[in-house]
Amino acid sequence: MTVHDIKHAASDSARLEAVGGRLSRVDGPAKITGAAHYAVEQQLEGLTHAVLVGATIAAGKVTAIDTRAAETAPGVLAVLTPDTIMELRGASDWFGKAPAQPTFSPLVREVTFSGQHVAAVVAETFEQAVAAAALVKVWYDETPAIVDLSDGKAGDGIPIEAMTKEWGDAEAAFAEAPVRICAAYNTPREFQAAMEPHGLIARWEGDELTIWEPSQWLDGMARTYAEWFSIPFENVRLVSPYIGGGFGSKALALAHSAVAAAAAKMLDRPVKLVLNRPQNFTSYGGRAATRQTVAIGADRDGKIQSIVHRGVNETAVDGMWVEPLGSVTSIMYATPNFSSKQNVVRVNTVVPGAKRAPGENPSAFGIECAIDELAYELNIDPMEMRLINYAEQDPHAKKAWSTRQLREAFAAGAEAFGWARRSPQPRSMRDGHQLVGWGVAAGTYPVRRAHGEAVVKLLSDGSVVVESSSIDMGQGTYTILAQTAAETLGVPVENVTVKLGDSHFARAGVTGGSRLAGVMTGAVHKAAGQALDELIGLALSDPRSPFQKLQSNTLVVRDGRIASPRGEGPELLIAELMSAVGRDHIEAKGDTLPASTTPEERYKNYTTIAMSIPHTEGDYSRHSWCAHFVEVRVDEDFGTVRVSRVVSALDSGRLYNPKLAESQWKGGIIMGIGQALLEEGIVDRRHGRIVNGNFADYMLPTNADIPDIQTISVGIPDPHSSALGGKGVGELAIVGIAPAIANAVFHAKGKRVRDLPITLEKLI
Amino acid sequence: MTSQTIIDPPEDGHFRNGIAANGSTPSPTTLSLHLTINGETHALDIEPRVTLLDALRERLHLTGTKKGCDQGQCGACTVHVDGERVLACLTLAAQVEGRSITTIEGLADEDGTLHAVQAAFLEQDAFQCGYCTPGQIMSAVACIREGHAGSDEEIREYMAGNLCRCGAYPNIVAAVRQAAQELRS
Repeated sequence: MTVHDIKHAASDSARLEAVGGRLSRVDGPAKITGAAHYAVEQQLEGLTHAVLVGATIAAGKVTAIDTRAAETAPGVLAVLTPDTIMELRGASDWFGKAPAQPTFSPLVREVTFSGQHVAAVVAETFEQAVAAAALVKVWYDETPAIVDLSDGKAGDGIPIEAMTKEWGDAEAAFAEAPVRICAAYNTPREFQAAMEPHGLIARWEGDELTIWEPSQWLDGMARTYAEWFSIPFENVRLVSPYIGGGFGSKALALAHSAVAAAAAKMLDRPVKLVLNRPQNFTSYGGRAATRQTVAIGADRDGKIQSIVHRGVNETAVDGMWVEPLGSVTSIMYATPNFSSKQNVVRVNTVVPGAKRAPGENPSAFGIECAIDELAYELNIDPMEMRLINYAEQDPHAKKAWSTRQLREAFAAGAEAFGWARRSPQPRSMRDGHQLVGWGVAAGTYPVRRAHGEAVVKLLSDGSVVVESSSIDMGQGTYTILAQTAAETLGVPVENVTVKLGDSHFARAGVTGGSRLAGVMTGAVHKAAGQALDELIGLALSDPRSPFQKLQSNTLVVRDGRIASPRGEGPELLIAELMSAVGRDHIEAKGDTLPASTTPEERYKNYTTIAMSIPHTEGDYSRHSWCAHFVEVRVDEDFGTVRVSRVVSALDSGRLYNPKLAESQWKGGIIMGIGQALLEEGIVDRRHGRIVNGNFADYMLPTNADIPDIQTISVGIPDPHSSALGGKGVGELAIVGIAPAIANAVFHAKGKRVRDLPITLEKLI
Repeated sequence: MTSQTIIDPPEDGHFRNGIAANGSTPSPTTLSLHLTINGETHALDIEPRVTLLDALRERLHLTGTKKGCDQGQCGACTVHVDGERVLACLTLAAQVEGRSITTIEGLADEDGTLHAVQAAFLEQDAFQCGYCTPGQIMSAVACIREGHAGSDEEIREYMAGNLCRCGAYPNIVAAVRQAAQELRS
């Protein structure tokens, strides 16, 4: 639970504070002074420290574990193995589907990936636990592992029928098309690599469990803990006041979470377990490696006649992850004939998971490179090629777009970038030894919607408290909810305190898929509206209220003062009215669910994703859109690639706070630069081990890798997407960056790299 | 001092997390240290293997200094020792006795007035999740003091040791540029 008092310069205008204003982050002062306490930074009496021991094989059995040396090491309280850790009940998945196995052991005897947890040591201090963990000896019976998609044993995999999208006769139309291109596009295993490692503190008090853990989904994770330990949902409290980055990785309670909670129960002492950096590469899934082939048939004017798309992503031996590779392919361009199918291939890895724009990101890499190849084939400007094939409606759902400012994005981006000055031929622009290339690509992300609830309290001193179990991992939830409540109630934003990150507050679904801002501004708007109605109702009807004699139908609240709309009669501060009518607070819980919703449905709505609302529900297809323009410089001799300029025009609908939205867009673009040029999980072929599981070898973009980035908002309020008109912000901007860079590299060097990352050996 | 047991290599020449590979555990030696942090002296009884980072976070509850990698690769644990930027995860607490340590908690004035770099980070929105931020700010203060904030190009280079996964880099450059100008004037 975190409280933010909003402080900002007196010169800030009311405009700044309203929804759509550029208010600085309200949680900023805590973060820049070190006062913000992240989940595992809670100080607890009697805290113990747990350290995990990971498997050194990728497939096989644990035959023996020698714990004697560890058990006698100084400070050690327990060494847990598959034989000694308490048995847990299996938990349902995030759709709410019942578990395949009735029981669950977070420490395993049967190893299916390198690094899987086989033992854990709990000690009085962190140093003692680390030292003792190194003394645990494990023996294995190793069996051959399937190390990755290119492993000869991997096979073609399992068809995922739900991913098939087809209309027309795509194969025949492709065969007959006068112009055809067909190529394969690969993306490697990638990692979210949030700066804050995964970890938690678990504490039991009787059969009540408190978990301090960075979380993108308090209620969903609380459900998992409740099911593991067979205790009521209400007995689990999850606290996650700040999250040091998630990018999709922090939405689920994982095996290491179960180890810590079980150890705390067994020892009856609070346990802190934080994954070390290498364990952050093996204890939860990053983005699955993908392979796609994209075939496009077109007429000589560039009009697409057919798209045939086939995709594969890796998944785990004992878990399923589908990275929807046809998601952008099927909607970006108009085509009379289309076919997309997808398989998944099991390899010995931890189950892959969500990383920023799962599905859309690799999907866009395929189609946005392929259309660029078609443009060069026909000698048509790559942006013009995209406009020739502009989809006037959703080609798959056959529905109107709710809003699609993609034409506007191309126009604004091209203008700011100076695209018209582009020299069309590859290798035709240079600056000394540097070959200069310009590339363009589009991106999109669906508007994922759900129902939410929030509590808004008006206190006797006129201050306002907003409560929600939703979270802020840097997107700006604290800030935009303060702006929403302030605007709806008519109070200064510094009077609003937002409390997030505690599962005992009003419930919230998962923070992912760029849905939170739309859901929560809607819920807070509704709850604040109800509180305002009650306040005005009291003012008009309570005999002690000075407004009662006014015979007015309504009142207005501005700057925390209540008055009649025409200004006659008294004017009171909210605090003065509350005092006059003898109320110490007004509380309203607002939610966006239909009134007929049952308690069971509410529980399901917040603790699973089964009740998410499809983005093509009703008459419209809802998506955010963007167009990226990128300049690269490729060293002619060495093949090194530097991104020297990025201009992106984005349609996220209405922006609740442009200052914060621009930061998220830039963050997505920068993660996309990493994806294009640097990031790749390298698997050792003998042992199926990630060999670059650290920040020196799995390279993230650094400050020195990033040029000036210009973002332009071209969105308009979209009433079909959310209560206040916003679409999605966080996932959108990474989609399309990697293909824009790959296309720019082709323009610079004349060599097409279809295999990410674009490293120098692929260019020389 | 009996720290020899830790420093001498084991017979096979390989350390495993500070433990000899033959499984023997060196007898933990407790050091009594006095660390000067943000102008205050703190007494600590700790093992010699405790890093400055863990001393700050786990013993002194100064959690503003963050642990991102514990391997000297991310910069989240950057603090100042005698005014110079240092990675607290690669520094033993015992190494900095008698030196002056400054952490993010000690950067603002006692009356709460923010350091120019902190204020610029807030104004330029130079962070999102906030986890790398204390390290970025400590690095930026030193970067300016070193005279390495003369141009955007130079700021990017001399701030490259502090990773930010949210991708606040352009805003960090803007914040360092702004603070450097304010501190010069």
